Amino acid sequence: MSYESVLTTCPYCGCGCQFYLQVVNGNIVGVVPDKTHPIAEGALCIKGWNAHVFVQREDRLHKPLIKENGEFREAEWDEALDLVAEKLGEIKEKHGPDALATLCSAKCTNEENYLLQKLTRATIGTNNVDHCARLCHASTVTGLAHAFGSGAMTNSVPEIDDSDVILITGSNTIEQHPLIGSRMVKARERGAKIILIDPRRVPMRLFSDLYLQFIPGTDVAWLNGMMHVILKEKLHDKKYIKERTEGFEAFEKVVKKYDPKTVEKICGIPANLLEEAARMFAKAERGSIFYSMGITQHITGTDNVKSVANLAMLTGNVGKRAAGVNPLRGQNNVQGACDMGALPNVYPGYQAVANEDAAKKFEKAWGTKLSREPGLTIVEISNAARKGDVKGMYIVGENPMISDPDIEHVRQGLEALDFLVVQDIFMTETAALADVVLPASSYAEKEGTFTATDRRVQRVRKAIEPVGESREDWKIVIDIAKRLGGKGCDFESPAEIMDELASLAPIYGGVSFDRLDAGEDLLWPVKEPGHAGTEFLHEGQFTRGKGVFSPIEFREADELPDKEYPYILTTGRLMFQYHTGTMTRRTPALESESPNPFVEVNPEDAKELGIKNGDWLEVSSRRGSIKIQSRVANIVGKGVVFIPFHYAEAAANVLTNPALDPDSKIPELKVCAVAMKPLPK
Amino acid sequence: MLVLMLEDIRKLVKRTLDGGKVDGVLALWRENGRVGPHLFVKGDDVSTLEIDPKYNLAAVAILALASGAKKIALIGRGCDERALVELFKRYQIDEDAIEFIGMACSAEQAQACECDIPYPTKIQFGEKVDGVVPNELKNVDDMSLDERFAYWRDVFAKCIKCYGCKNACPVCVCQDCVLEDPMWVKKGEIPPEFPMFHLIRAYHMADRCVQCHECEEACPMDIPLTLLYRQLRQDMKDLFDYLPGASDAKPPLTTVLEDEKLEEGA
Repeated sequence: MSYESVLTTCPYCGCGCQFYLQVVNGNIVGVVPDKTHPIAEGALCIKGWNAHVFVQREDRLHKPLIKENGEFREAEWDEALDLVAEKLGEIKEKHGPDALATLCSAKCTNEENYLLQKLTRATIGTNNVDHCARLCHASTVTGLAHAFGSGAMTNSVPEIDDSDVILITGSNTIEQHPLIGSRMVKARERGAKIILIDPRRVPMRLFSDLYLQFIPGTDVAWLNGMMHVILKEKLHDKKYIKERTEGFEAFEKVVKKYDPKTVEKICGIPANLLEEAARMFAKAERGSIFYSMGITQHITGTDNVKSVANLAMLTGNVGKRAAGVNPLRGQNNVQGACDMGALPNVYPGYQAVANEDAAKKFEKAWGTKLSREPGLTIVEISNAARKGDVKGMYIVGENPMISDPDIEHVRQGLEALDFLVVQDIFMTETAALADVVLPASSYAEKEGTFTATDRRVQRVRKAIEPVGESREDWKIVIDIAKRLGGKGCDFESPAEIMDELASLAPIYGGVSFDRLDAGEDLLWPVKEPGHAGTEFLHEGQFTRGKGVFSPIEFREADELPDKEYPYILTTGRLMFQYHTGTMTRRTPALESESPNPFVEVNPEDAKELGIKNGDWLEVSSRRGSIKIQSRVANIVGKGVVFIPFHYAEAAANVLTNPALDPDSKIPELKVCAVAMKPLPK
Repeated sequence: MLVLMLEDIRKLVKRTLDGGKVDGVLALWRENGRVGPHLFVKGDDVSTLEIDPKYNLAAVAILALASGAKKIALIGRGCDERALVELFKRYQIDEDAIEFIGMACSAEQAQACECDIPYPTKIQFGEKVDGVVPNELKNVDDMSLDERFAYWRDVFAKCIKCYGCKNACPVCVCQDCVLEDPMWVKKGEIPPEFPMFHLIRAYHMADRCVQCHECEEACPMDIPLTLLYRQLRQDMKDLFDYLPGASDAKPPLTTVLEDEKLEEGA
């Protein structure tokens, strides 16, 4: 007889809601939202309410699998781990450490990501470690680090309550960050204004005071246009610009060219609406900007982010409560995975691998020589695998076969590898290509921490033992590291791993399990054990000293519509599904809401194509084609189509363009050119 | 006063556990700096027990009993007791499996929930205070039909279909919920179809809503659901003289037969 109520953190988006898993005799039967949690406040979205359902599904991976003659067979742990170590060791021996690459997981804990990047850097000896943040906010990290010195949300989520004007762009907040979206709607009921600027008429349009629809890929132009109006009407914060920033003159010169009429021609936003939005935002006492993939997933992703930073600095809105620049992170622990150094150019705490002092510090701590050469990013790893430069990969909790652009090329890369090991909780499309599959444990089966989108470090707690013979990821990583001769991996618990991390990453300097378990809200930087953490960043001074204005010219997307491929495809997600569907498609309450892929088509385009809602189409790009049902709705503008990327059976990423932003190497998932052909009924 | 009451409750819980007549005491506890439901068992530190914020524990009691516990005590408020009564009537919990230990809510607590009956029938702790009539109730009652329709259309436009109202409700116990049946409510839409989604739920709540406010507290959008259910409760009172959560009557909407003539008053 046992009933337990275990406080933990939701494994879906980056909001960081906490709830109590309801555990009856070892079975998780439900969740109860935490009424005392600062984000959840007793509520959850539909994914949170169903976050327990996939955990004990029958088709969880229960035993290690080894592929022989193209078929998987079950294996004992020792055999599988020995094989993994032998193969990875062989490749390192023969081809050098840079012939190996690992992908960390934004679903795993901070402690697990810390260990995996340590294994990659210290034990294998390469910086080829990356994760799906490359596909979502890589350009935020580069853009905001350049402008402010720190690439995370400047403000905390509860501050939304006190914002005067909330500008939302490229974020379908109600569907993707529901408990942040609801907070914005409630702030508006108390008098805040919402400006929504998005190519899709997303649910937030019902609650916006101004809605501006624009052509995907033209963000820099309308951002410059807004700033043009603000400067022209002298609504900028001169004192703030003078005291706290640099680079204003060069920036001002560029922005002068972007008058609203010019911008209207590029973006399709009526000049008067853009002016109105500019005034509304500039006049706010506390103006906050929230953005997501709509800004970041472009070859101009870094430019877009820098432009957002320009707008916030121009109006004196950074370093202030309830204002700021707020990139919403999509995964429960994508912020944390970045913080942990699951990126090819930085150690934990964003300390550059190319920085000699940083490298020496980590060499001393880890007792080994480290490479100064930044490693490869996700799409580069895939390209290198296809060319034969990368020969072995260790992928933990990621599913690039659905999530990455141009899936056919991803497949070719993974198939070209000499050895692929995938560690996951289900047999994913990526795991199916592996030589060895290691059964990992879900969030409900382990101790650790996640870092939510607002830099909030929170505990994850074990509600049940790992299912079947699956093991906690941190234990598996240690087992592999030890077999590869790794030093410094004698950790007895995730708390000990956090202690090592805190000693090496100053932004986590004061984080410990003890403090978190005492109920402290810790938002990094938490400099030392006595430090209370940081509600909002850059108060008084930017992390880098002065904020930097960047002069940014508008550049067109990599692939524009033409005669052959006349529509712009933009991709995204739905309320009821999550990413590659590994968890949500196994959850009946979610899957039944949105079971089928679709392409969203504007009614005018539908008329021209002669199709009705529900008709089947072949959608093609230069990279591939899919068959998919149409959903005719006035959500996208004319000439634009939208496909959610959750569905393997009609994967949007068969079509998407892997062209990269030169600074951050984020692929342009938000714009590519497609053709559509109605299929016979 | 409240502190003293809390100390008394903790003492009683310890005595109850030591007495050995129950397998556990369902209440709230403070752990890891937060407060949530917990089944205290013999030997637990009762100094962690809390009585705020309100979590309706009737639904949690079903889970605690599902673990195999024969009998548990439950520290609860008026709404916990009323929810338990509805669950007894609907054969979800065996009446003998629960020892209810009742607390009356303070005036502040009653105001926070705008509760019309902020006390249980059996009060072991606290003092009875008057019920609260929400201001908004009169506002909505005074609206014309068109205004009222517009009012509800606008608040329900905020719904993000989290089903939190259903999930948090202690008396929503159907295995298959019509809200999830595509015959009645179209799937995958936000906001869900108006008025179907919310009126279906409202009618299903008519003879069972115990005004615990769990639905409203679980609503990320602060939709005033209990306001609507309170009006239906009034209709049930006027039509059938029936008050959900009172122990002496069968729920009329589940007991009236198809060809039975409805009469005013039960």
